[in-house]
Amino acid sequence: MFMTAIRVEALRKNHGRFEAVKGISFEVAAGEVFALLGRNGAGKTTTVEVLAGFLRPDGGSVRVLGLDPSAERAEVRRRTGIMLQEAGFFPDLTVAATVDAWRGFTAAPRPRDEALELAGLAGRAGVRVRQLSGGEKRRLDLALALLGRPDVLFLDEPTTGMDPEGRAATWETVRELARRGTAVLLTTHYLEEAQRLASAMAIMDRGEIVASGGMAETLAARGGRVSFRLPAGVEAADLPLPVTVDGDEAVCRAEDPDLAAQTLLSWAAERGLRLPGLEVRAATLEDLFLDLPTSAR
Amino acid sequence: MTLTATYRLGTRLFWQDRALLLGSVLTPALIAIGLPLLMRHLRPGATGEATAQFQGTLAIILSITAFMNVAVALSARRDQLVLKRLRATTLTDGRILAGQIAATATQTVAVAVVCTVAVNLAAGVPYPANPLLYGAMVIAGSVVLATLGAAYTAAIPRAELAGAACMPVFLLSGIATGAMGPIRQALPSWVGAALDLLPTTAVVDAVRTGAVARPALLLAVWGVAGVVVIRFWFRWEPRRS
Ligand SMILES: Nc1ncnc2c1ncn2[C@@H]1O[C@H](COP(=O)(O)OP(=O)(O)O)[C@@H](O)[C@H]1O
Ligand SMILES: [Mg+2]
Repeated sequence: MFMTAIRVEALRKNHGRFEAVKGISFEVAAGEVFALLGRNGAGKTTTVEVLAGFLRPDGGSVRVLGLDPSAERAEVRRRTGIMLQEAGFFPDLTVAATVDAWRGFTAAPRPRDEALELAGLAGRAGVRVRQLSGGEKRRLDLALALLGRPDVLFLDEPTTGMDPEGRAATWETVRELARRGTAVLLTTHYLEEAQRLASAMAIMDRGEIVASGGMAETLAARGGRVSFRLPAGVEAADLPLPVTVDGDEAVCRAEDPDLAAQTLLSWAAERGLRLPGLEVRAATLEDLFLDLPTSAR
Repeated sequence: MTLTATYRLGTRLFWQDRALLLGSVLTPALIAIGLPLLMRHLRPGATGEATAQFQGTLAIILSITAFMNVAVALSARRDQLVLKRLRATTLTDGRILAGQIAATATQTVAVAVVCTVAVNLAAGVPYPANPLLYGAMVIAGSVVLATLGAAYTAAIPRAELAGAACMPVFLLSGIATGAMGPIRQALPSWVGAALDLLPTTAVVDAVRTGAVARPALLLAVWGVAGVVVIRFWFRWEPRRS
């Protein structure tokens, strides 16, 4: 079943006279994790805040679960969870007291322990919020966003400040939620995070989408690369495939990097050469990002 | 469900915050109890003056414990992006503010009641002749002043300035009812007439004279004005520029 959870059509949003979002469109299906990427100031947070009903669009339309988030905010809120890029806590409340207070603001909330467990905060219930680390505050943020068992989850830079372990745990939680049908809109500047979590993405630059598509297809279409150190006495022109050389490292980009590696290795074997440090890998989001026009990075 | 949840949270945060308690409960309580007591000692037998003094200090309780308290708490939560987080829940804007206003009004009523009992025991100030009117005016005054405090945050640029921004309101309220001494008599009469329009003066007038209609009307007008300002100008997030 394909159900559109989030639909953005030709959305425009200005801050004063500044055009922060200039007519972007995309869709997120139920159970899909969609990554919105782009450098700082690209307009990601503005887009999320329009979708979450904090800001009214200046043009175009947005629908969340078929509803208009600014006109029908209460109804949309009942079914969405939001991790804002930046929001404050009551520093003197404990983690448990914070979750309890927020349970009071949520219809049919998860039990406190379940929410803390999901966010990886189970052992920290008695700690005052002011004593949490940045990463732990982010986890508490996640716990609060998940309280209402949302159908749509907005995650604006969710793992900023988390250690690698916290990040991995958060990814697992998000993946599990998506598996159960939650639509997730994720913004992040960790490209690895987007690549691991998202099944579709859009890259924003200065308020516009400059690249978008399914994650797997987009990366597959970009092929991959084989890299190795150039053996002494070998010139790039001698090789059977075109490479670019940077210092003593040669990089060969290819649609099928495995095949390219085989070609290069058998060429080397015939000549009794080795290709030290040989590495084969599929394209990453970072390759894609770096290949965009510099203005879009 | 949700209005009581914000009410409970507002109440809990208040009683848990020592600095806030010191500034917005202890200080006005000391003024409200201490000044009549002092008067009694300076002029034994002057129960009437001690009573008038205490009635006047109700304006101080209202302007500090209700008005300033809400203004400081809401502008701090606005600047720390706590209001924004509250708005990310199913709470409506109205419920977020109503819960906070109701919690603060309750605290103010509690402080007024404690002070009323304390000055009776300590300074012989008699209990109000019309307890029903007294209670109704203190409750209405607390709600209106808390609402006005919430509206006033629209004029407070940054949270650090909230306390200072409330000082003029506190001074005017105190001068208007004579709680700060006989300053009022030295002012031009049109100033006095303007001070009589303050919501704090309305409450004190009702308590002193037993008048109902004019004070009730004044409070209603101020209450509506507060709600209108909140509707149009309340800021949920700090200014970015
Ligand atoms: N409230 C605001 N007032 C003025 N400018 C803003 C406001 N919010 C965002 N901007 C500007 O809009 C642009 C997009 O911001 P944002 O959506 O936060 O980008 P991102 O999340 O991609 O980093 C930035 O140039 C930012 O400075
Ligand atoms: Mg952002």
